[in-house]
Amino acid sequence: MKKDKLKIGIYELTGCAGDALLILDCEDELINIFHAADIRSFLMAKSDNIDGELDVALVEGSVSTERDLQELLDIRKRSKVLVAIGLCATAGGNQAAFLDPREWEDNLKKVYGRTEMTHTKPLQSKPLNAYVKVDHYLPGCPIDREQFLSTLTRLLAGHPPELHRFPVCVECKWRENDCLLNRGILCLGPLTAAGCRAVCPSHNLPCVGCWGPAEEANYTAEYQLLMEKGFDREMILRKMSTFSGTAIADFAARIRGVKK
Amino acid sequence: MRIVKLKKEYFHPFLDVISRQAELWAPVKKGDKHIFDRVEDFNRIEMKTTRTLLPPKKLLVPPAFNTFTFNAEGYQEDLSHVSSKILFGIHPCDIHGLLTLDKLFMHEYTDPYYVKARQKTLILGLSCWPDEYCFAKSTRTHIIDEGFDLFFTDLEDFFLVWVGSSQGDDLLRMKPDLFEETLSDSDIQRYIRWQTERDKAYRTEINFMAMPDLMELKYKAPFWEEAGRACLACGSCSMVCPTCNCYNVLDKLALGGKPGRRLRLWDSCTLVEYSEVAGGENFREHKADRLRLWYTHKLQAYVSKYGKPSCVGCGRCLVTCPVEINVRTISKALEGEDPKAFWYRLPSEVKP
Ligand code: SF4
Ligand code: SF4
Ligand code: SF4
Ligand code: SF4
Repeated sequence: MKKDKLKIGIYELTGCAGDALLILDCEDELINIFHAADIRSFLMAKSDNIDGELDVALVEGSVSTERDLQELLDIRKRSKVLVAIGLCATAGGNQAAFLDPREWEDNLKKVYGRTEMTHTKPLQSKPLNAYVKVDHYLPGCPIDREQFLSTLTRLLAGHPPELHRFPVCVECKWRENDCLLNRGILCLGPLTAAGCRAVCPSHNLPCVGCWGPAEEANYTAEYQLLMEKGFDREMILRKMSTFSGTAIADFAARIRGVKK
Repeated sequence: MRIVKLKKEYFHPFLDVISRQAELWAPVKKGDKHIFDRVEDFNRIEMKTTRTLLPPKKLLVPPAFNTFTFNAEGYQEDLSHVSSKILFGIHPCDIHGLLTLDKLFMHEYTDPYYVKARQKTLILGLSCWPDEYCFAKSTRTHIIDEGFDLFFTDLEDFFLVWVGSSQGDDLLRMKPDLFEETLSDSDIQRYIRWQTERDKAYRTEINFMAMPDLMELKYKAPFWEEAGRACLACGSCSMVCPTCNCYNVLDKLALGGKPGRRLRLWDSCTLVEYSEVAGGENFREHKADRLRLWYTHKLQAYVSKYGKPSCVGCGRCLVTCPVEINVRTISKALEGEDPKAFWYRLPSEVKP
């Protein structure tokens, strides 16, 4: 193996492993990926994993247990560049949708009964950047093949990845869709990071926000707009929180009047 | 300019002949709206439309296209978006939109991707009837006397066809017996009546003459902040505007020795990244500043350079912006009126 290849590790914390699977699913590019980079660790793909120093760590999943947290801190220490991949890592994922800490504790008790775990301590789910510095974010639930490859190739070339920083609406317009929101349908495109090529509105389905919060997601304006269009307040909040992770916490608390 | 008459029953036979020359693109239905699409079945063509979802700029500079592929040895230009096209059904305001793009892309700094596509595109204009969102009369773009090869005015059982270029004339010559050179007095009367009626049909008016001064005088008015708070930064207004022309450039690399690609993507000054420079400094961090820039360009800056606004009155921003930030509401706000738009109501209703 050539010495100057970038050392890369791919890790999964709490998530569905969909992002790692997506990488594995880049079948026709896998050989090229393994040729271009020194893949030190990738649990889903190989068994001889080495946990040493890394140039780039790609981390999927949210931090939902003490063990996740320790692993993340360790990965961060060993890596020059850390990339959060997938909604759970970038925003916290669906599992971060319980926003109020008390609500989370109640739910934990309700679901698990006994909450003293034997092997690790559960934590309220949070995205990676709640604990460590994240250099780049690759959104998606799961991530998109094209976006993954362009991120990886740019990192390999020593450039920062260039991902869209605008919401789904831009790509939706590129595909010349008639706006669902303007037709009175609850579409979360304006709040959601682009990158999926607006696949849902292009099939006449509203965006539910699975790419996670757009950089400038204007919750207040979209909430007001949907209220004016006659949607139920709890319904709007539920829809908005599904894929917003912790990003929507302040807004939701403000709307619900919950003291934090 | 030569004007000839074409009976309705000869319209499809004419399209049949000319569409053997080049791809024919025309307005067709998409849901209950319209888009420009490639047509082979002429019955799909919608003759009585208002604005299409996207303006015809999408055919000259596609929303996202590859400009060239590259590797270590060099680069190779990709002009796959360029093909011989005949665009039928372009309304006067959209032809004015193309003329605006011509000014920006074909003069001082020529843009090869635009120029090559434009040179291979014939414009066959079509008359239209305004709805409540059209205000092309206010921008003086509801009539057109340049920028087309042929222009069809639909007078129910026949068209009057203006011949705007020698290439347009060539099209007529492909089937000259379909056209009548002499118009009767009643044909002419019919056209004049139609023209007068149409002129009266514009219901939305905007005082563009006042806009450059108002932009100056109201530059610091509080309504900009209010609009900025309501703006979703979704970029839709720019995507649909026939005169918005900004683009971003993005390099895509590839693995396994495959060439990289340099993409060109429609951009908008209402988006956060637009005014960000190296080092992370952003000159227009606030949405209010970005909206002010958008409207400065449309209502003031272009006027001082070219003597007319860069808005052509198509109404697309009126029907597209989800939160009603558009030329109509902004011009009302500039005139000191309360436009009763979404963003004016917003502050009072944001209570947790
Ligand atoms: S349909 Fe949804 S994603 Fe598309 S422009 Fe409208 S709000 Fe945005
Ligand atoms: S839900 Fe939204 S972000 Fe997710 S794939 Fe559909 S359009 Fe894209
Ligand atoms: S500013 Fe609005 S009305 Fe004017 S040309 Fe652009 S989209 Fe059309
Ligand atoms: S003005 Fe309207 S259409 Fe334009 S970016 Fe803002 S919300 Fe989107």
